Parts: sequence; C-alpha cells; structure tokens
Amino acid sequence: MKPPRTALLLVGSPKPGASSSASLGTYLLEELEQLGLHTDTVNLTKALRSGGATESLHAAVAAADLVVLSFPLYIDSLPAPVIRALELIAARRAGLSPAAAGDKPALVAICQCGFPEAEHNEVALEICRNFAPAAGFEWAGGLGMGGGGMASRRPLREIRGMLRSAVHALDLTAAELAAGRPVPGEAVRLMAKPAIPGFAYRFVANRQWRGELKKQGATAPLDARPFG
Amino acid sequence: MKENVSRAALLLDGRVGDDPTLALVHEALADGLAAGGWAVDDWRLQSEKIAWCAGCFGCWVKTPGVCVHRDAGRDVAARAERSDLYVYLTPVTFGGYSAELKKALDHLIPLKLPDLKKAGADTRHPQRYERNHDLLVVGTVPEGQADGAEARTFRRLVERNALNLRPERWSAGVLESGAGEWEVRLAVNAWLAEVGVVPLAASPDRARQEAVA
Repeated sequence: MKPPRTALLLVGSPKPGASSSASLGTYLLEELEQLGLHTDTVNLTKALRSGGATESLHAAVAAADLVVLSFPLYIDSLPAPVIRALELIAARRAGLSPAAAGDKPALVAICQCGFPEAEHNEVALEICRNFAPAAGFEWAGGLGMGGGGMASRRPLREIRGMLRSAVHALDLTAAELAAGRPVPGEAVRLMAKPAIPGFAYRFVANRQWRGELKKQGATAPLDARPFG
Repeated sequence: MKENVSRAALLLDGRVGDDPTLALVHEALADGLAAGGWAVDDWRLQSEKIAWCAGCFGCWVKTPGVCVHRDAGRDVAARAERSDLYVYLTPVTFGGYSAELKKALDHLIPLKLPDLKKAGADTRHPQRYERNHDLLVVGTVPEGQADGAEARTFRRLVERNALNLRPERWSAGVLESGAGEWEVRLAVNAWLAEVGVVPLAASPDRARQEAVA
C-alpha cells in the first residue's frame, strides 16, 4: 500500500441527519486532511437515489487512493443500502483491468453498534474484508466500536473527552494510513474499549428509550404487541 | 418432535436477477415444506418495493412494534411474527446476505424490544413476542467456493442471527452455483430436517396418527 494522496469517506448510515457513522468517519477524514490528503465524502443512501448520484459515487471511488467505509451495525451485518452500494461498486470495478498489488486503492471500515460490546461488529467487518478483494481494493483493516450511539449527537471533536479511546484509535489510524500502512492493532483495541461499563451503558440506554417514548408521544406502550 | 401440520413458514427469497440455482433451491424448499404440511408465505423480494430502514427507531418509540413507514416492510414483519420458521435464500454476498434479502430483514427490528439485556457475555435486545421462530438460511456461492472465506463468513453470520433470534433449531446451508436438481433437493431436504421439517409420511406424528386410526 502506497501512501495515499486522496481519501473518500462513504457514510453508510441511512439516517437523514447526524449519525455516529458520519461523526466517526468525518473525524478520521479530517485527521487525514491535516496530514495532507485531499478528501471527499459521499452518503451511500443518497447515492442510490438516482442514476446520476450513483455515477458520482463511482467517480468518487475511482478517484480515491483510500476509501473509508463507516456504517452502523444492522442485525449483525451492514444496512441494506450499504450492501447495495457495495454490490454496485464491485460490479463496476469488476470490469477494470486488475491493478498491481501496490497500486490498489485501500479500504478501511468502521462499524459501530448500539450494544456496549464491540464484538458484535466482527462479522460485519469480515464482510467488508471479503468485499475488498472482490472489488479490487487492498484491505487496510477494520475498527469495531460498541456503544456507538454515544457518538451520534455531536461531532466527535466536541465530545472527545468522553470518547477518548475512540479518538485515540482514530488518531493512530490516520497516522498509519497516511503513511501507507494498515490500521494498527492498538487502534483496534482502543476502538473496542467501552467508554463506560456495560451495566451503566445499559441502564442509561434503557432510561433513554423510555424518555424518548414520552417525547415522541408514542401511540402505544414500549412493549406493545400490535401483531398479536 | 413438533407436529408439522398447519405450521407456517416465511420464505424470503433474496435472489438477484435470474439465478437458476436459487430458483431450484426455492422450488425444493417450497416442495419440502408443502410435503411436511407447512403453509408457506412466499416472498420474491426482488419484486417488492420496500424502503430502506432509515434507522429512525420510530418502530420502538413512536409506533411501538410497527414501522412508521407504510409499505411491504410492515407486512413482512407482521407475517414473520405469525411464522414458526423463517427461511432465507440469498446469493452469498461478500459473506453476507444480498441487499434484496437484507432490505426485508432490516424491517424485522420492530419484533424486538429496544431494551438492552445481558444474555451471557453479550448484550441483546429481547424479543417483543414469545413465539419461537426456527431459522434456515441457504446461500449460493460460485463453483468451488463452498469452503471459501465468504462461505465461512456466511455461516458465522447465520450463527450470529441465531444468537439474536434464539430459535430452538437453526441451520445454515451453502450450495455451489450450478448444482444439479437432485443435489439441490437432497441438500434442501437435509437442511429442512435439521429445522424439524419432514415429509408427513415420514413424520413420527403422522405415523402415530395412522397407528391410532
């Protein structure tokens, strides 16, 4: 892997507004920019809305030396629109003449989930690792994060104190990727480190769901069974 | 052994384009389920317009148990809840499911509760309903890759799904593209047996009924 000159962030959250995937990916991209890379960002769900937007996605991918895919875990895997985008990217790149090993663009993935344990992300990251050779990328590594919802409200730069392990992981990752090296093991470990103990995370999250139910003026109790 | 008669299976076919092997698998599954006396709710997802799950969590905090978006995604969830067996078909896609299958599976989130509960070493969402749903997932890989990296990831993914769904029985099957009809039927019948679907003539329940009669 050569030191990249251009990096592309693919945001895989299907949410229309702010998301943890965008927050984590944007932080990494900004760090890469400070290290001299030219950067670009594409939201994958938006890129699937029209043929023109999908062509722009393909063009952005083709121009990148390094692609960062940041997405939320959906049922042990990637969200459907992210899978669709990967299917399209692999199909498009299958027609390209194969690049020499050192000339292939690199792919790094960030997967975060709402559970406190980062291990839930392992299979999804494995899917990304399988995608890399199928689409002509060199796999540069994956970062899995538990308690991902904590990064969703504000840009990571503003809440870096609470998520200092994740921030440190991304700092380390940016430095290595910019130098043409894969995600370091220390970054993987730091990213997976829970920001708060699991029992505290579960307690707070369960309270928040009930608070949100009231705020949204829910039509039924949290444990309603509308299908019988 | 459970009684097969009048049990319901939800068949979610996530094939992409014209996939002759998955078409054979689909036919063999439908035949096997029918022979076991199962009612089959058969979905060809490619022709279903289902919006991407937006991850808004409205199905947990606005309209608990139902997706806020009105389309076939809601129907899939409702039918899933009334099914005793989920059957997924997919081309193995980088080790996972096709986007066609996943667009429907992402809409099963309202069948879970938002609460986080410790289950062994992991945290999980409890089921909203008490009904057990067994699980059979069949994927196809290119010829010669039944033991390759993508097939291994696929089996791990199904295992993870089973940890979340907590079925009494589950199975993951991988077939190579180009498999012949008899190979497909033999494999499918073996996988169906693993999730308790056996032809009525071979069912101990049926044998018992006939003996009593």
